[in-house]
Amino acid sequence: MRKLRTAIVAAVVLVVSAIAGSPASAQKPGGTLVQITQPEPPNLAPYISTSAPISQVTAKIYDGLLEYGFDLKPKPSLAESWQISPDGKTVAFKLRKDVKFHDGKPLTAADVKFTIMEVLKKVHPRGINTFRDVTDVETPDDFTAVFKLANAAPYMLAALSGYESPILPKHVFGQGDIKTHPNANQPIGTGPFKFVEWRRGELVRLDKNPDYWRKGLPYLDRIVVRFINDEATRTAALEKGEAHVAGFGAVPYNDAKKLAQLPSIEVTTKGYEMISPVVELLINTKKAPLDNQKVRQAMAYAVDRQFVIDNIWFGFGKPATGLISSNFAPSGLYTAEVTKYQVPDGIERANKLLDEAGFPRKDGGIRFEIVHDITPYGPEWQRFGEVVQQQLAKVGIKATLRYEDVATWLKRIYSDYDFALTSNFLYNLPDPVLGVHRAIHGKLIRQGTVFVNGSQWSDPRADELMDKATIEPDAEKRAEYYREVQKIAVAASPIIWVFELNFPTVINKRYKDVIASPLGIYANFATAWRE
Amino acid sequence: MGAARLLRYLLRRILQAIPVVLGVVVLNFLLLQLAPGDAATVLAGEAGGAPAEYIQQLRERFGLDKPVPVQLAVYVKNILVLDLGYSFRNASPVLPLILGRLWPTLLLMGTTLVLSVGGGVLLGLFAAVWVRSWKDHVISLLAIISYAMPLFWIGLMLILLFSIKLDWLPTSGMEDAAAFYEGWERAADIAKHLILPAVTLSLFYIALYARLMRATMLDQRGLDYVTTARAKGLAERQITIRHVVRNALLPVVTVAGVQVGGLLGGSVVVESVFAWPGLGQLAFQSLFARDLNLLLGIFFISSCLVVVVNIIVDIVYILLDPRIRVG
Amino acid sequence: MRSFWRRFLGNPRVAIGFVWLAFVVVVAVGASVLAPGTPFAIVSKPFAPPIGEFLFGTDSLGRSLAAGLVHGARTSLLIAILATVAAVAFGTFVGSISGFYGGIVDDVLMRLTEFFQTIPSFIFAIVLVAILSPSGTSVVIAIATVSWPPIARITRGEVLTIKAREFVQAAVVVGQRDMAILVGQVLPNALSPLIVTGSLLVANAILIESALSFLGLGAPNLMSWGFQIGAGRAFLRDAWWLVTVPGTAILLTVLSINLVGEGLNDALNPRLRDL
Repeated sequence: MRKLRTAIVAAVVLVVSAIAGSPASAQKPGGTLVQITQPEPPNLAPYISTSAPISQVTAKIYDGLLEYGFDLKPKPSLAESWQISPDGKTVAFKLRKDVKFHDGKPLTAADVKFTIMEVLKKVHPRGINTFRDVTDVETPDDFTAVFKLANAAPYMLAALSGYESPILPKHVFGQGDIKTHPNANQPIGTGPFKFVEWRRGELVRLDKNPDYWRKGLPYLDRIVVRFINDEATRTAALEKGEAHVAGFGAVPYNDAKKLAQLPSIEVTTKGYEMISPVVELLINTKKAPLDNQKVRQAMAYAVDRQFVIDNIWFGFGKPATGLISSNFAPSGLYTAEVTKYQVPDGIERANKLLDEAGFPRKDGGIRFEIVHDITPYGPEWQRFGEVVQQQLAKVGIKATLRYEDVATWLKRIYSDYDFALTSNFLYNLPDPVLGVHRAIHGKLIRQGTVFVNGSQWSDPRADELMDKATIEPDAEKRAEYYREVQKIAVAASPIIWVFELNFPTVINKRYKDVIASPLGIYANFATAWRE
Repeated sequence: MGAARLLRYLLRRILQAIPVVLGVVVLNFLLLQLAPGDAATVLAGEAGGAPAEYIQQLRERFGLDKPVPVQLAVYVKNILVLDLGYSFRNASPVLPLILGRLWPTLLLMGTTLVLSVGGGVLLGLFAAVWVRSWKDHVISLLAIISYAMPLFWIGLMLILLFSIKLDWLPTSGMEDAAAFYEGWERAADIAKHLILPAVTLSLFYIALYARLMRATMLDQRGLDYVTTARAKGLAERQITIRHVVRNALLPVVTVAGVQVGGLLGGSVVVESVFAWPGLGQLAFQSLFARDLNLLLGIFFISSCLVVVVNIIVDIVYILLDPRIRVG
Repeated sequence: MRSFWRRFLGNPRVAIGFVWLAFVVVVAVGASVLAPGTPFAIVSKPFAPPIGEFLFGTDSLGRSLAAGLVHGARTSLLIAILATVAAVAFGTFVGSISGFYGGIVDDVLMRLTEFFQTIPSFIFAIVLVAILSPSGTSVVIAIATVSWPPIARITRGEVLTIKAREFVQAAVVVGQRDMAILVGQVLPNALSPLIVTGSLLVANAILIESALSFLGLGAPNLMSWGFQIGAGRAFLRDAWWLVTVPGTAILLTVLSINLVGEGLNDALNPRLRDL
């Protein structure tokens, strides 16, 4: 706890120095940045939907209480400082006093209370979980918000960015039904850019907020977010300089590699540290013969992760060892000390395991047949399915491919559990409680809820460890729990964790400091500037 | 034919059209109920997962918890007063969403129709006039080649050539995204952005009209009335222009009418390649999001459009061919 | 009859088209012999250029393009022909009945046709495939369902004009039965626009199949030309052969179908003899 307090003091000092120091001389104001977001967001209401493209737009409009450094440690934003009680059950935020919403009204603690208690805790898909232990937000004065918690919630402090928990104006969203609010697509926040217009199917225009609370920022006059449905056209627009930044797989991986060779373009994989996507093959552990652990292990041995990374994702990834991304290595949550499936003699081991499990090769060398459901996310995923089919064929498992659209697929996997094998990718998010528990926790085998434990596997010991880690304020102890969880889960192989996906972000070199946060394109671009 | 009769005919057609449009709506509604999965699952899925309570909340909000007949009754009742409902996914009423996409769609469709029918009729006419000569062969061949190449392939090649290599035209979009032009400047900008998608889409349809025109012209030339005209000593050119072309236009008009419905949906690929903000894209996205209010709204609007065009086609038909009597 | 064949194959364009189509059909029938095993097998390094170890090179995963092309011929042709036959049969039936009888029959059938035309066809095809779940059958059903209305309308239009002509009126006067007049007198005269449109429909079916595959809605376990184009399009600028090879196959086949269709039209249309 003492460590945390020191961190707070350090943070306050940092802010003070940031305000006092003038921006470096090279940074010039002005210019329009054109960002490509794919697909077009369904709405601009990040408080009610976490659909991936929404916050690529709205994170520029809405601030959060906190921001984060590349080390994933919190930094001040709307909250200039914060204090956590020793038992972790009280978190007090001091708000900045000079913050105004885009409509000119000042930000107060009442807005924070409203946002957390009335909006995020009730209607935000992940907020329901993140803030479940928040019993109240007290507002002793206009610029103090005290979160009262039923249990310590160490993960909550990682989820207060403008991306995850945008702070809304109570005087706007407090009126009427939040679920069908007219301002859903007319966002009003405190961020560096103001919403101007949304031409559906075309673009969203955001203009500089001249009254932004960070004086002298943002540098850019305007951000235009464009929607281009075709991947080759997106590449062409970036190549021609009609658009300047695109991430999250908006540019085909092979094109990203090619664009990186142009003198005008830079490609980075930074800016996804708080997202950490892991590509996986989800196994239905309740369906014979996949209920047999040996069969699942054999399948894990059969998948050549490096082939998938090299030939489908063109090098933008690294083999995964288990459910937690190696991005968590600095905090000790990650361990590579688990059963290793990516081995040179994987095929032999797989064949041996399958023989042992009682599935000898029969006619045509086939041991048994399954249906592999392709994830309907785009061509990479189709190729992935075809490769898995070929690789499983090598060990005598005949997989027939099935392709259905997103709605059908979601229903089949998570509502009907009517599948054997499918692929997916899951964000680890800034903390395992938010991103990892949902995949393997026994309590989360909830039929009908998407992206939670589709393999229906659970282990009492792993569940216990995860429950303890959820409310454990001591970082080292938490890390120990999670390391054990990884060993148990990887050995049982309910999911084949294939690789950590490193999304490429393509940036026109005239634009500097675009990726300035572990949230990458989900950050506010206040410090981005044009040469 | 008398003006009064034509008017009566028009009225009858419009009255007949109402049940068609309603039928389209009802049948589509039922058809879409067969689609597995619903909007709540997709929204939750896009959100990267959500608790079951949240998904249930969504269902109640969307009215998906009610039985299908009730949902249908509510929908039809609303349609009758032209209320197309609310798209929860887009957090907006359906009508403005569709209207916002309607004019880019009409612009692209109209331009394509003019380019392809105009070009196709001319090419077909020349091919028929020069039948079996090398010119005929070249025209037919070019037409089929442009038709047989996948649309997105032509589109991407045109972008590569005219945008990237030559730098004459923009790659995509309907307007310069960074400029925000006004007035005539804006119109010129849109026209510039319109060229590539319209040409790409026209290349596909032009072959159809050219071949149809050629075939029917050759057909007409053998008919009795042409022989009669020739016997009367009319010049070949006059026969072609006065009689043959006029009659050969009939199937072309039919097909053009038919193509309007096709154009609306067929432009999905072109809209996608050129990031053109049209209805095809919207329909495509709403299907996969199970945003059924929006999809049904698009079907409703497009069916109205096609009905209107078909009535126009029938009238043109009557005007072109006096042998068809209004019943 | 002899004169029909002479006129049909005597035209060099038709002969060329006929030869190519025959070739494609032979390849499609003999696919399993020409390229044994599954065309999805990863057999070599990715992006091997053509005329090396493999005739047409390999794709992004190292699958032989030639093997895919051979198996794709079978899938694409089968889907296109089945869909077209279904569409033409149904469309002609509806159109001729509608045009011939007129009145209430005409109204009802034309409203039905309008119903299918009012829905944007490609979107409708996508809806059908999405509901039925992508497979060979659902693709055929979807293509046929969106393809028949033009045939119906053209048939109706032709029947309407032909009905007004003297020889039909004469048949009516001498008291021939409806069906006999329709099949014996009216339809043969409506044939040439039908053949032209029908041949374009086969081509169109191949293209729709390719567009569906391109959107990932093709039959996932069937190798088709559309599938190959869809899988190769992301590499249009890196490996030209991935799209160009199956694209050329489609182009040549569509071209041939058209040439043959046109030849049929010319040969079946005896009046052209006078020209």
